[in-house]
Amino acid sequence: MQSRQDYYVPEGSYWPILGSVGMASLLGGFASSLHGHTAGITAMILGFGIILFMVFGWIGQVVHESEAGKYNLQVDRSFRMGMGWFIFSEVMFFGAFFGALFYVRQFAVPWLGGAGNNQFTGEVLWPQFKAVWPLLNMPLPDNYTVPKGIIDAWKVPAINTMVLLTSGATITWAHWALVNNKRNQLIGGLIATIVLGIIFLGLQVLEYGEAYNHLDLKLTSGIYGSTFFMLTGFHGLHVTLGTIMLIVILMRAIRGHFNKDRHFGFEAVAWYWHFVDVVWLGLFITVYWL
Amino acid sequence: MKYIILLFFIFIIYSLGSALYYMMKDGEGSKRMVKALTMRVGFSIALFLFVIFAFWMGWLTPTGVK
Repeated sequence: MQSRQDYYVPEGSYWPILGSVGMASLLGGFASSLHGHTAGITAMILGFGIILFMVFGWIGQVVHESEAGKYNLQVDRSFRMGMGWFIFSEVMFFGAFFGALFYVRQFAVPWLGGAGNNQFTGEVLWPQFKAVWPLLNMPLPDNYTVPKGIIDAWKVPAINTMVLLTSGATITWAHWALVNNKRNQLIGGLIATIVLGIIFLGLQVLEYGEAYNHLDLKLTSGIYGSTFFMLTGFHGLHVTLGTIMLIVILMRAIRGHFNKDRHFGFEAVAWYWHFVDVVWLGLFITVYWL
Repeated sequence: MKYIILLFFIFIIYSLGSALYYMMKDGEGSKRMVKALTMRVGFSIALFLFVIFAFWMGWLTPTGVK
């Protein structure tokens, strides 16, 4: 059992206050841009830049301290706790969006069509409205961009599913390499995973282009468009973040960081990648396909 | 048929969840996390193959308009 004195207490740090300034600038700028102030956009970009600087600076410092051997097992455990809470928030985040999708599909849209005890809702408000999913024929289409169709699940989404599943396999290959002390295989597996992540993102951009330019499927396309872009968009953002984190881990692996027994940084990023992969499987089946 | 997909998801989320548990709890040198993640990848690929197969067999069709 370690005593409290063994716990590594770092020097006072300016990173948290810098992060707060960045966050305030980003959100304040966003709010003022909604009011039509162009300076708001500048403040947003500035805030985003400050946050990026803070994230890389802070994490860089932690990596440096870790490599200097300042962290004992108790600190290691506190990192794992932090990761646990972060994952909890991520699960809740996607849970809310999936929950919104299921609620709309199973309850709200059928009710508008007169299901359950809402027969009069259907008959009095919109007697012509038929509740089908995907909801392309809206009760009041004038207020929305009516889409001409939806993305075919067996084109780009199926390819992207294969890309992400393969990336799940390559990150696991890298993981086995790390625990078996095979540095070259670790680096190769990480590079393959990063390349697959970038291919996924490129294909997602193509698919969004197709949706916006040819299908008229937009964020403003009623509840179908909203849930589609909220879920796939935030997932894409997570793949972007995961790819950036994998690049950081790759750099560390090339520099000789991590050993077969202590490599929490790798474990956390690998788990995050698996999580994003599983979220995609859920999206492929419930958003694109069924 | 939808319940089979659900069953796959239960396996996938269970293996992903146990990997998380091992990451939080295990100390140095444990391979339980990477084993659980390997299971996760296996179940996921199996699910994708099953979905393709079910589509090909006509067991499952996409809902709504096409």
